[in-house]
Amino acid sequence: MKDERYQYEESPSYVSRREFITISGIVIAILALPAVWIRSAVVKRNNYIRARINGLYRDDTGSKVRVSHGNSGVAKLYKDFAGHPLSEVSEELFHTQSYINRTRI
Amino acid sequence: MSKNQSWILKHPWSVRSFHYLLVLSFIPLAITGVVLFFKPFDQLTMNLYMRIHVVTGVILTLDAVAYFIIGFTRVIAFVKRSFSFSANDIKWFSILGGYPQKFLLRKKVAVPPMGKYNSGQKLFGICVLIGGTILIATGWGLWGFPHILPHSMAALFGTLHLVFGWLLILFLLVHIFLGIYMFDDFKAMFLHGKIPCEEAKEMAPLWVEREVVKIER
Repeated sequence: MKDERYQYEESPSYVSRREFITISGIVIAILALPAVWIRSAVVKRNNYIRARINGLYRDDTGSKVRVSHGNSGVAKLYKDFAGHPLSEVSEELFHTQSYINRTRI
Repeated sequence: MSKNQSWILKHPWSVRSFHYLLVLSFIPLAITGVVLFFKPFDQLTMNLYMRIHVVTGVILTLDAVAYFIIGFTRVIAFVKRSFSFSANDIKWFSILGGYPQKFLLRKKVAVPPMGKYNSGQKLFGICVLIGGTILIATGWGLWGFPHILPHSMAALFGTLHLVFGWLLILFLLVHIFLGIYMFDDFKAMFLHGKIPCEEAKEMAPLWVEREVVKIER
């Protein structure tokens, strides 16, 4: 039942059926095209990352030193300078001083 | 208000409820967005602003998606009206709708006849349609899926979010000012949805002539 407090309203036939279909198609296409572009860019980036991971693993397989604690340079740094991991010197130089928890955003 | 006054339903309940939620979400989004841009506070406070920005962004998205689905025919009518141009629009922009003359010179100039939306409102409508969609899409990308986006795309999303955010904030200031200035339309949007026929004939003669029909009871 219509509200008695007004006597006029917009004509429901302002948009014809043909216009409705045309405009709907354009709107949906404009919304869909960027989605397709974003998806293809993400897939391309993921293929690049996958190729890079495979390359790194391949390089790693052929390396003599494959773990950080086996790195003689790092071992020498701790022995001659920083003492041991989590020592005062390494805490001060290698660790961040302040931390804000942003994981709840 | 005369009892014999005739009224036109301009903003039905679906439009008004969409607009309420839009106001409740976009104004906090604009304020927190400006704060996030200038970063005047410490990190913890900025983190709080970011959380408000995200929550209100989700509300805006739900509002827009719900209206797009439920009020799809109205969305299509809005697109048609916003993208319908004629020589009257050029005339309207050449005198800026007569507003500067009215506000600065206290002079009333002849304004070409307009439809439901005048040329300035059409421009605003186009910016809201395109800018709003870009803001929602880029906002979700930057917040929800930054780890999935390629670096260049995330940077582009950030730039687009910034540019369209500022554009819509500046347009919003004009929209609020003129919205309150057109007080009958303001009451229609926030209260009862209807405007007097006489007012509509003066402000939107083409709308009354071409789109408004009498209700048969």
